[in-house]
Amino acid sequence: MDPWVAELRRGGVDAAWDLFLDQYRRLIFAAIRHYAQDYDDVMDVFAHVCESLRDTDLKRLRSYFERPSHSARFSTWLVTVVRHLTVDWFRHRDGRRRLSTVAAELPPLRRRIFEFLFINKRSHVESYELLKSSEGLDLTFGQFLAEVSATYRAVASGRRGRILRELGGPAPQVEDVDDEQVGASERRDELEEALSCLSPEERVAVELYVVEEMPADRVAKVVGWPNAKAVYNHVYRALAVMRARLSTLDVVGRPTSGRI
Amino acid sequence: MSDFDRLDRLRGFFHTGETSVATPDCLDEHTVAALADGTLDAEMRSGALTHVATCALCRRAIASVAEALIDGPITHEIEVVEGRRRRRGPILWIGVPLAAAATVLLLLWSPADDRSSVHRGPPTSAMTPMLRSPVGAVAAVNDLRWSHVAGADRYRVTVFDATGGVVFATEASDTVALFPDSIALVPGASYLWKVDARTGFDRWAASELAEFRVAGPRRR
Repeated sequence: MDPWVAELRRGGVDAAWDLFLDQYRRLIFAAIRHYAQDYDDVMDVFAHVCESLRDTDLKRLRSYFERPSHSARFSTWLVTVVRHLTVDWFRHRDGRRRLSTVAAELPPLRRRIFEFLFINKRSHVESYELLKSSEGLDLTFGQFLAEVSATYRAVASGRRGRILRELGGPAPQVEDVDDEQVGASERRDELEEALSCLSPEERVAVELYVVEEMPADRVAKVVGWPNAKAVYNHVYRALAVMRARLSTLDVVGRPTSGRI
Repeated sequence: MSDFDRLDRLRGFFHTGETSVATPDCLDEHTVAALADGTLDAEMRSGALTHVATCALCRRAIASVAEALIDGPITHEIEVVEGRRRRRGPILWIGVPLAAAATVLLLLWSPADDRSSVHRGPPTSAMTPMLRSPVGAVAAVNDLRWSHVAGADRYRVTVFDATGGVVFATEASDTVALFPDSIALVPGASYLWKVDARTGFDRWAASELAEFRVAGPRRR
């Protein structure tokens, strides 16, 4: 048992905290630096993480050890908690105080897009509709998505690219928006329909491998398959099933076949 | 169209920017961590994946933690806190005075015993690290691997770019070193790397230089 856990169980909260921090400070910093690069940001997030972990006599840390069983290693759990707190901190800070300096340097339309997507957490469709109705945006949805894509590229190429991806999700590919009459939500509906014929494991594997760009061996670990080859087999088979499904939808007039 | 191009197009098709909102069914941090690390038991995993299949928020969290867990500095610190690796700092604090003391001892020690007339030849290949990967054209570089050298307690790894500039340098006690995600290798550009194995006090056996180049954009 770690000394800090033993100390915590003896009731020495302050001493346990000191021992914990001594042992895990570097891991916490490494996890924060994975998402944040600016020195001031890293130090502020570290303070926020410490405050959260120390709150109410180390309640959050206790919650790990009070579970009847542990599926996750403590270190992995801690990285997950730090990731969660880091994303929260950025969302809170950028949502309340100011646009990041990256966004401030963007042209007006892209700055508004940044505000809608990254700060207000609007979807692409919502942002498009809001910009059209309230600000008289005179762009087709395809042209709008081209601006969205350019905004993503501008903010993700900077030092804060990783955390901005956490806040805004992956960037859209505008080449695929070749039919502007088909709205994004409609495309998603079609995709949901096609995905619904997959098992949860296959569906998670497809989304993690394709959308999140996770390496196949890591996807295998998540879904419980033996190796990367199993992921390739399952994903490509699933995509074939989806292709067939979307072709069926195509018969009723939805222009989606051939994209997958 | 290459497989990467196809995947990029497919990715665009999936993504519409819809934002999930957290629900009471969303996974707790313990489950996200266990899923990302592949340590959740089969029954719990099945239940969790049913939710993850329809929740972009939880899926992003899992992907994000899984990516963090293969980030070099985080992997290193996890190994340290779990006792699988020692910190570099204390080794330096203890190692430097020890090395200094050993140097003094060697200087004081008469070299009279070193009378062997047999000249020590160059190290053979069995005494030097053999570079295993990456070598030649590779899809991605996630780690560097080489062969074990008998008696070696430390390996020094250096990666150079085509101009001879050091791109990455690290030390390891095992025969593998993780290549940090933060270092962007230029697709198509040539890189050289070598490993020095420490086989005794101030005695290093160097590998041959090996060349590699990344064929396409780096995928994790």
